[in-house]
Amino acid sequence: MLDHILSILIFFPALAAILGFAIQKDSIRSYGIAVGAIEFSLSLLLWFMFDSNASGMQFMEELPLVPVFGINYILGVDGISLFIIILSTFFTLIGIASLGEMKNIKYMIITLLFLQMTMTGVFAALDAIVFYVFWELSLVPMLYIIGAWGGPLRIYASIKFFLYTFTGSLVMLVGMLFMAYFYYQASGVWSFALLDWYRLILPENLQLWLFAAFFVGFAIKVPMFPFHTWLPYAHGQAPTIGSVMLAAILLKMGTYAFVRFSLPLFPDASVFYMMPIAVLAIIMIIYTAMVAYAQKDIKQVVAYSSVSHMGVIILGTFALNVEGISGSVFLMLGHGVVAGALFFLVGVIYDRRHTKMMSEFGGLATVMPRYATIFGIMMMASVGLPLTINFVGEFLSFLGFYQQSHILTLIAGSGIVVGAIYMLAAFKKVFFGEVTKEENKNLPDLNKKELIALVPLLIISIWLGVYPKPVLGPINNSVESIVQLMHDKAITSEAKSRIPNLMKDVKSAGNSEEGAN
Amino acid sequence: MEIGLNHYLALSAILFAIGLIGVMRRKNLLLLFLATEILLNSVNVAFAAISHYYGDLTGQMFAFFVIAIAASEVAVGLGLLIVWHKRHGNIDLDNMSTMRG
Amino acid sequence: MEVYLYIALFAPLVGSLFAALFTATPKKMFTGVIASLLIISAFVSSTILLMYILNGGEPVQVEMMTWMATGDLYIPFGFVVDQVSVTMMMVVTLVSSVVHVYSVGYMDHDKGFNRFFSYLSAFVFSMMVLVMSDNFAGLFIGWEGVGLCSWLLIGFWYHKESATWAANEAFIMNRIADLGMLIGLFLIYWNTGTLQYTEAFAAMPGLDTEILAWMGIFLFIGAMGKSAQFPLHTWLADAMEGPTPVSALIHAATMVTAGVYLVVRANPLFDLIPHVGLFIASLGAFVALFAASMALVNRDMKRIIAYSTLSQLGYMFVAAGLGAYWVALFHLMAHAFFKALLFLGAGNVMHAMHDELDPFKMGGLKKPMKWTFIMMTLASVALAGIYPLAGFFSKDLILEVAFVDHHYILYAVLLFTAGLTAFYSFRLVALIFHGEERYKLFGIHPHEAYKYMLIGMSPLLILAIIAGSFKMTYFEMVTALLPATEYHIHSHLTFWIMTIGTQLFVASSIVYAYKKYANNKITVPDGTSKMENSFAYKLLFNQYYIPYIYEEYLVKPYRELSTIFWEQIDLKIVDASVDGIAGIVYGTGEKTRAMQSGNLSTMLKWMVAGTVGLLSLAVVFGLAARYSDEIMAILSGLGV
Repeated sequence: MLDHILSILIFFPALAAILGFAIQKDSIRSYGIAVGAIEFSLSLLLWFMFDSNASGMQFMEELPLVPVFGINYILGVDGISLFIIILSTFFTLIGIASLGEMKNIKYMIITLLFLQMTMTGVFAALDAIVFYVFWELSLVPMLYIIGAWGGPLRIYASIKFFLYTFTGSLVMLVGMLFMAYFYYQASGVWSFALLDWYRLILPENLQLWLFAAFFVGFAIKVPMFPFHTWLPYAHGQAPTIGSVMLAAILLKMGTYAFVRFSLPLFPDASVFYMMPIAVLAIIMIIYTAMVAYAQKDIKQVVAYSSVSHMGVIILGTFALNVEGISGSVFLMLGHGVVAGALFFLVGVIYDRRHTKMMSEFGGLATVMPRYATIFGIMMMASVGLPLTINFVGEFLSFLGFYQQSHILTLIAGSGIVVGAIYMLAAFKKVFFGEVTKEENKNLPDLNKKELIALVPLLIISIWLGVYPKPVLGPINNSVESIVQLMHDKAITSEAKSRIPNLMKDVKSAGNSEEGAN
Repeated sequence: MEIGLNHYLALSAILFAIGLIGVMRRKNLLLLFLATEILLNSVNVAFAAISHYYGDLTGQMFAFFVIAIAASEVAVGLGLLIVWHKRHGNIDLDNMSTMRG
Repeated sequence: MEVYLYIALFAPLVGSLFAALFTATPKKMFTGVIASLLIISAFVSSTILLMYILNGGEPVQVEMMTWMATGDLYIPFGFVVDQVSVTMMMVVTLVSSVVHVYSVGYMDHDKGFNRFFSYLSAFVFSMMVLVMSDNFAGLFIGWEGVGLCSWLLIGFWYHKESATWAANEAFIMNRIADLGMLIGLFLIYWNTGTLQYTEAFAAMPGLDTEILAWMGIFLFIGAMGKSAQFPLHTWLADAMEGPTPVSALIHAATMVTAGVYLVVRANPLFDLIPHVGLFIASLGAFVALFAASMALVNRDMKRIIAYSTLSQLGYMFVAAGLGAYWVALFHLMAHAFFKALLFLGAGNVMHAMHDELDPFKMGGLKKPMKWTFIMMTLASVALAGIYPLAGFFSKDLILEVAFVDHHYILYAVLLFTAGLTAFYSFRLVALIFHGEERYKLFGIHPHEAYKYMLIGMSPLLILAIIAGSFKMTYFEMVTALLPATEYHIHSHLTFWIMTIGTQLFVASSIVYAYKKYANNKITVPDGTSKMENSFAYKLLFNQYYIPYIYEEYLVKPYRELSTIFWEQIDLKIVDASVDGIAGIVYGTGEKTRAMQSGNLSTMLKWMVAGTVGLLSLAVVFGLAARYSDEIMAILSGLGV
């Protein structure tokens, strides 16, 4: 079974979703929870069986699909994808478990299970075509969730979400086809296998074009400024669970793809585009933080804060050194947990009051103390307080990028200030002050179902903030191999100097450890 | 003056132009068929002429193909035309818009 | 010894978590008692560690576990108890023990009693992490942790708009400084390859001076935020919105001194960059004077003490900037005692006066509140630096440092400020405790605080009196780690003239303050007197209009810019252009739909048009291909 654990992880929820149609409406919730729990324990098993010291791909599976064109069903995980897969199964589980009353709950659960399949598929695929198929498939359940359960503007929001990201990924597909074609020219055989592509060294001008093609697809998904405007609509209209999945997992597909595709395939182009992308990332961080400050709707604050944090992830990724990339991968997890939790929390008051306008609230700390406490802790995690999960990622991302540019890091670092401004302002508006509105005076505090979703997230965000090592270690190993690969592949001298050579460092690190002992 | 390839091609071009204008201007389905026939035959002329010029029979063979296809097309087309006329009492093109997008 | 280290560190955390369990329930006396006991146990452990270090023990160092490790970066949770950190531990645990005991009485009637102790103990834990960490990252954890607790505690009465506003202001201003600190850490890491104090400091002498200067500057920016140095000082006065014990513990004795501690801790770095040190000292002297001047006219008891804190922090930075680290640390310690005492006394007064803060509305309180009167007077004497109380030894030493190092301007500024300090301190004492009983106009019946609160305060009182006598012991201990520069004025005559002169100057300030404010003619100012309408008074009373400037020229523009970004740029440019592109595609479809009218003749016309178009394209390309050479020749002739 272990040989095919990734395939099981991918297709088990899909199979369960199909069987779900036959389940009675009354028992669908327990069925969904059971499937989610099995899927989550399978992913934990994956972690348990994972060799933390190895840097390469593990649990590889291969099955020919179109051998003539080198399209194969190849799966595998390393330290980078492992934890995002676990995060996605975890969110599916608590997402289903915390679903409130809604119409057509059966179809919601089936959709979520289907979404789970596509998410695992994206993060486990090692063949470009398989990756692309899952990447596009993931749009469908999300489109359905927004379109069927969304707010008044749901049709506009879902169409915008779909077309925007779809357009981007088409450009990415063209890039992939070209990449395969260049591989064919270089080696005489067709291949879409990522590990084959890793070995291909492209001339710099080709790299620049291909990087740009992939960039469009990834950047829209992230979403990077100025491609971010679909996100506030999608978040604004999506139901709580949709926003949670979108923020926690789906956005990470873009940043993950940067680490998986763009960096190792195009090291020279990565160095070439580093500064422009860093500038975009900084605009994302500061500009969207300011936009978040201007919002009147608490959910939009969280939505824009997502964009702002994704900027930090991008910045860390393009630090192109181990500290930065590890930090950005860790921040993907951190932001997933924290943003997911914040969307859950926003959903809580929306369920009670059916409004998300901050002016409608005030003084909730008196009425809902438990809610205020959890919101406060999650807000502090979002702001990046040490000993919370986000700090580790943000600190490492900034630290990494500092090696590349001092002044840009200083500017980007003001994100920790502007981030605090909008978050504290929003918190003050909602929770502090006197309770002014009559409707708010008797709001019930968090119920059990909501605590089921929030308490685990709370625990994770503090646990991984205090002791990130079990997660950071495997990430670090895989990132080191990527950085080394990039260094070896780089052609231009600038890229060689920008991307550190770890082989030398490994020796000196060993020496210093001996010295310390 | 000897009649050469260019003359045939010119004839073909003129016929083609007449056919095109016919296709564009005619509102009557029957006349449209006639215009189409002119188009096809202009090409036939060109085929035959070039075939003769190069001494290669393939072109003439192609002309025959075209004639055969034109004949069958007219047969089918006229059949449809008669049915249409029986049903609607006219064969005006502007009335045939049931497939509007 | 490691056991004591762990007790000192984690007892407050346990207390905090314990109290946190009861936050949702009504007041429970035992949460306060248990939290206090745990803090006291931390204090006892610190004392044991102090004894151990005093007896020449080696610094205790532990590494609990790895925190972050990636690439070459390795950050553990490491803690060290050495001569410097044990001093800070003593100050922190002692003051917080007193404040905890005091708070049991002070917060007696508050609904958030349990919550208060949870926050307060969490603060002590963060502060302990800050001072005990053996690396910069751990320091940063504590640094942000105390910031968080300060936010929680300033905004403790969260239903008050002013309190939450002040809390947010404090947090955000500190964050600005923390950014500087973070950059400082990055600089240290990328240049020395580590964040451990010992290794980083060992690597520093080999670095370029310019880099070191930047490190020092960025670290000091961090210190400026926590220690509320100009221009990041406005939050401290506003932070007085929090409960008074909080002001005593956080905003007088411990957290605000973290900046001084950072400079002292990083003394090997600052020793290498004396020019940055001079800048620190100059800024410190400026802040000392600047803050003291604002305290002169203020009419809010707690704010006066807050400005006095700010002023004393300036003194500490002068000492630290001039390289007299042990002097700075000594003043930090002495100041913690008498300033916490002053604040707690002010808390008693506030309780008695039903949260009235204007000293002009008090007067004559020495009768109903004898003990508070004695304590506050002695604390003020100590603050003014009268022999033989604590302030004399520590503050006079800073004056000597400035004098001996030939920074006469700094010396003059500090001396002048010492006079101001004495004046505003005794203006406050005189207004509160002497003169006519003006509070009667407002129908208040003041009463003395609980006895155990007064007993709880007594250790501070004793220390405020006798702390000066520890000077030599302290000097011997701490100079094992800090540069042991002794500051002696060579000529005895000069020394005596200076000392006595200073004492006389300060004493005359006190007498003047008493004369002016301790009489029976004082009335509650109503804005009509000549002094109140003078420009200088207005300038000082409005804090040099700095909060106003920040509000007008930073906060408001930021808010407006945010709105513009959202409404004008995000919605009208970025999003609109995306929708525009979609609109073009959609519109094209909408317009060209007419082509598919189903009308055969129209469609035929389009077909013909297409054919013609394609044919002409074919002709153009055919010609271009045929005459490509000529075209190229023409183009090259044109110089393309």
